Amino acid sequence: MNEPQPIPRKVPDYMRKAGGFMFWTGAMVSAVFLYEVVTGLILLFYYEPSNAYNSTEAFLNTVPYGSIILTTHLYGAYAMIVLVYIHLLRNLFVGAYKKPREMQWLSGILLLLLTIGVGFFGYSMSGDVLSSDATDVGRGIAGATPVIGQYLTALFFGSGTQLSLFHRLLAWHVVLAALIGIVFLAHFFLAEYNTIMPSGKDSGERAPAIDHDDGTYKQWYPYNLMYMLQIVLYTLGIIVVVPSILAVVPNVPALFSPFPQVSATSPLAMSVPAYPPWFLLFIYKELDFQFAQGLGPFYATVFFAGLPLAYLVLLPYIDTKASLKLVDRPITVSFAVIGVIYLAILSAWGALEPGIAIANTVVVLFYLVPLFVVPAIVITLSNAIKTGRLKNPYAGGIVLSAAFSGVTAFGLGMIVVSAKGNYTPGVIAGLSIVGLLFAISLLFAVGLFTGMYPPSVRKEPVPVSKNTYVAYSSVLGIVSIVILFEMLSMPFGNVYDQSLYGIGLGFLFIIGGVMIRLYRGQFYNE
Amino acid sequence: MAGNEREEQTPPDASRRNFIKIMGIVAVGAGALAFLRGGIQNIIPPSGPVLSGFPSMKLVDATGKAISTNSLQVNNPEIVTFDYPLLNEPNFLLRLGDSNNKDVAINPVSVTIPLTGGKFTSPGGAGPYKSIVASSAICQHLGCIPPEIRYHTFTSASFDGKIHCDCHGSTYDPFEGFKVVTGPTQRPLPNVILSHEGSDPDSDEYYVKSLVGPVIYSHTSDLSGGNPLPSTTETTVTQTTG
Repeated sequence: MNEPQPIPRKVPDYMRKAGGFMFWTGAMVSAVFLYEVVTGLILLFYYEPSNAYNSTEAFLNTVPYGSIILTTHLYGAYAMIVLVYIHLLRNLFVGAYKKPREMQWLSGILLLLLTIGVGFFGYSMSGDVLSSDATDVGRGIAGATPVIGQYLTALFFGSGTQLSLFHRLLAWHVVLAALIGIVFLAHFFLAEYNTIMPSGKDSGERAPAIDHDDGTYKQWYPYNLMYMLQIVLYTLGIIVVVPSILAVVPNVPALFSPFPQVSATSPLAMSVPAYPPWFLLFIYKELDFQFAQGLGPFYATVFFAGLPLAYLVLLPYIDTKASLKLVDRPITVSFAVIGVIYLAILSAWGALEPGIAIANTVVVLFYLVPLFVVPAIVITLSNAIKTGRLKNPYAGGIVLSAAFSGVTAFGLGMIVVSAKGNYTPGVIAGLSIVGLLFAISLLFAVGLFTGMYPPSVRKEPVPVSKNTYVAYSSVLGIVSIVILFEMLSMPFGNVYDQSLYGIGLGFLFIIGGVMIRLYRGQFYNE
Repeated sequence: MAGNEREEQTPPDASRRNFIKIMGIVAVGAGALAFLRGGIQNIIPPSGPVLSGFPSMKLVDATGKAISTNSLQVNNPEIVTFDYPLLNEPNFLLRLGDSNNKDVAINPVSVTIPLTGGKFTSPGGAGPYKSIVASSAICQHLGCIPPEIRYHTFTSASFDGKIHCDCHGSTYDPFEGFKVVTGPTQRPLPNVILSHEGSDPDSDEYYVKSLVGPVIYSHTSDLSGGNPLPSTTETTVTQTTG
């Protein structure tokens, strides 16, 4: 049934239609990874482990376009981590961990760990105060490992001198990046071998879900290639534009600043709060829990990070039922929602209240309430849909948004409880962010439930005159030439000018993506 | 498939299609060109100053007058430093004395580097009383600079007669070639070799010749990795309150 086809495989048209980008989250991760490899190799020419902070600052300030390379390398890494999580969640919800894709799923979990690891080591390399905080937390966890703690510390962080530390960080950063490349190849060819995860309509929502070419699939070249190029250009555009804009905007918080902070040895270092990279804030916050401090950093990490990890690894062997429908997998769905909520709230908590110890009662409340409330809501709704009491084409959406709004309401309650009437700006910021998420998800759930958003009628594509496309494309072509001209004639030297160059470059990438979209729309009927 | 073939065989609007194609190539090409230009210019490193050897520099005060023996106070509680061999690389200038503020002659000694087990010979004191010594003022542990690291005179409450870094507690002994007294540092301070000219303690001169011992903190070489001093023949001694 899984007929051998030449690789690269052809894919169904719906993957290239509106909304089809959810089939390409892996492609986006790959594009970012490729960008990271290119910029990382450039950085490798300049980085001096013996002189970590100064060589980073010198690259930023004195090397032509160093600021663009360094800031986009950082934001590319951030984008890669976010996209890896999105890729994971998407595959969790569509049930892509099920037969025959267990190995793909497991190699994906390994890639998640490697990506966070490579991010941790890379973030620690600049030698600024945040990186030394991050190294300290890592060193604490490694050092607290029973029996082999001191060996692990020496293995990852060297013999204790700054030189051996930064030399090791560089070595591990490169080694883990190379491992990502190798595991990625396995992951990719497994994906080609097992075919894409077909849409629910095609697979009948039952595993094993294999994609069959029914003879209507278009050729890989040029249709797929052009679509991928479009995705790659959009992705690159975003990771170049975002840090370049943040570089010219004043007062960006330390956690999201594209630049290194002050040196760890500077007297000013005291004024910067001790933050790890944002993608590890959740571990950092967990170490603040009262009983976690009793456990010590190693067992706390094993407990808080190890349990979800073990669950993800075992998931293909726990949930072996054939159905891919969300309503048939309420427990899996609940755990996914709970996981996202824990991750999001812990990260926000770590950012707003860094290093503040949390009492056991609050911790228990935080963990147990979603653990019972979310499955209760999800299971009730799932049963209602299955038995036909709740009929709605958007049932899945209602389940998810209702669960999400329930837990954000809980998050609001948690913030109020832990604030104890002391409304600092951090608490108010937390309240407004979580409150906004709650309001949006509640509106969404209610709107879907009451049918405020009726099932969309398939709109006939509005015929656009061919000359309109020509006009669009010529405008964009002229705009891109103007941007290029501005970029080439612009003086450069300081970081500000370089950031403007970066903004221009990012927009050129995005315009390139839009042009391909226009071309595909006009001549491929896509 | 049928629709596609028709499309492949008879492109309906060849000229429009080519026009959009060219515009697309222009846009993508502009991005590629801009990226390549930045990338290629980035790969070529900017040339930085690299000294070919240690420069010989006269120690002068802020007015340009040569530092004489008597212009230096024995057991000065203030922090006296000069930059050498590059900008922002401070060095202590100490006139060491005993608890009665009498000059103490410092003899050349062999100093061990605990990190490597290697040894180097400290030059000892310069001047008529052999009491004037100098060393890098950048802590060898994590690179803290004065006032975090400074010399504590015999009137100090603690660390008297030692150089102590407040950042992490590294302590060095200037009487013994700036050797390590307590960690966390594992390297002594790089010693500055001074030469003394003239015999009148009111009008004699001091020259900085070179450095011995470990490399200045965070440098691969003492002679690179920074910007040059404004003068190639003299360096200014400054005094700040610690």
